Amino acid sequence: MNIQYEEKDIILQVENLSISYGEKVIIRDVNFIERNVVRKEINQGQVVAVLGRSGRGKSTLFRALTGLVKPSSGKVLIPDYSQAPSNGMQPAKEVEEGDVGFVDQKYTLFRHKTIYDSLTFALRKSGEKGSEKKEKVMKYLIEWGLEKVKDQYPNELSGGQRQRVAIIEQLLSSGHYMVLDEPFSGLDIGNIQNARQSFKLIENGHDLNTIIFSTHDIELATELADSIYVMGYPRLDDGSLGTVGTIVRHFDLKALGIAWRTEFTQDHLELVKEIKSAMLAS
Amino acid sequence: MNFKLWVKPFENLAKKDRFTISILWVAMVLAYWLITTAGEKKFFPTPLQVWQGFAALYSEGLVVHIGSSLWLCLQATVISIVVSLVIAYSYPIPLLRPLSRAMSQLRYLPLTGITFYLTILVTNARTMQVWVLVIFMSLYFITSLLAVIKDIPQEEIDHARSLKCNRWEILWEVIVKGRFDYVIDVLRQNLAITWMMLVTVESILVAAGGLGVLIKNSDKFMNHGRIFALQIVILLVGLSIDYTLNTTRKSLFRYSKFN
Repeated sequence: MNIQYEEKDIILQVENLSISYGEKVIIRDVNFIERNVVRKEINQGQVVAVLGRSGRGKSTLFRALTGLVKPSSGKVLIPDYSQAPSNGMQPAKEVEEGDVGFVDQKYTLFRHKTIYDSLTFALRKSGEKGSEKKEKVMKYLIEWGLEKVKDQYPNELSGGQRQRVAIIEQLLSSGHYMVLDEPFSGLDIGNIQNARQSFKLIENGHDLNTIIFSTHDIELATELADSIYVMGYPRLDDGSLGTVGTIVRHFDLKALGIAWRTEFTQDHLELVKEIKSAMLAS
Repeated sequence: MNFKLWVKPFENLAKKDRFTISILWVAMVLAYWLITTAGEKKFFPTPLQVWQGFAALYSEGLVVHIGSSLWLCLQATVISIVVSLVIAYSYPIPLLRPLSRAMSQLRYLPLTGITFYLTILVTNARTMQVWVLVIFMSLYFITSLLAVIKDIPQEEIDHARSLKCNRWEILWEVIVKGRFDYVIDVLRQNLAITWMMLVTVESILVAAGGLGVLIKNSDKFMNHGRIFALQIVILLVGLSIDYTLNTTRKSLFRYSKFN
């Protein structure tokens, strides 16, 4: 049975995005749109997976999505919630540093700050009072099972704990958007389970919460994401493989009726096969 | 005890074995010293001569001289740290980057040339001692600090940027605050070089005293016992400074786990 949902306003639009480092073009003409998904009686955020073989420009795309690198051409647009809607539409703005949270593969944190201090620091521009910040930080620490390590430094935490702290930090600072570069690499099975629960916490925390992540675990991507993009080198007119990364396939798991299922099914398996063949062909 | 393991490369020995090896080496060094100084002709002074040299130095105010050397070092270190940090922290600013790079390259300048110009600028000999040490120390200090800054992974800069830090906040949080423990370690490494420089620098002004002056005087009279005793004192004071700085770093910065 398909799960009912509605697609509302655009929450992320990538328009003709190209990025070059000097003469070297890394990604070219990347285009995609993600809309706010609404489900009855549940806060449903968006989970987008970006898959692709190594060197196809996933990390570069992520740096552009987070505003850490300026596009050579094209733009990344998100709704500007600081402005009032006009004609029922939220005005859009180009993404800037800090608008979109970013958790890298190493779960980088400030090495000289305790977990509590790091999270409080992430809230420094929120405009909230000291007591409100403390309450908010403690709420997250308890909810994410980190209250016992709040006075520890990053190098005293396990990989899983570091990842959770890095995610909360970005949630507190950036709001609804979160980009995670290979969040499951280097984690053991228990920590992967914790990371999946973290995804659920974010996803169901707010309608507008949007996670964009990359992984080499295709099965896991089909289980977690509601939208999957495959990045690769496109086939050129002469049949040869190009050398610049772009989006080569999109799988809308909502439309396919696979998204948000609680179990891994035969449909997931079929999709995995299709994704694998798209990846190998690009 | 399995003695075969003692010569097996990369073998992790038990604490008891490691302790035994250390004791063995100390005993061998002492034995070598006693044996080689037992005859008529000897390269090193006998332990008794060193002890007598040490006693003579103590009665001549060894503690005061150690104090003088430490005070000179402290003055030079404080000035050097301030100057070096300002120059090193300016490295991420494109306009000032050539300055910090150039200061690091100047370490290849010979000390004699520098002292020549300093004698023109500075008239007071004690000030001269301090500034020779400051210049010498700063050039190495800047080089080491720049290496620390260049080693900061891009991920740490990006992490701060993703948390809406402006560029000055990144400089403050990632480079200044985030690497303060490294500054102490860099200081520790460079103090070893400065400590070695004492003999040369303290010879500029004999009246100010110091361990360097004591060595120079002992050298003049070929007093081997005193020279040897002084070398041991200088080594022990240097090691104490090293230990103090390392312990300070580890106790002040719990997150500082290197070394």
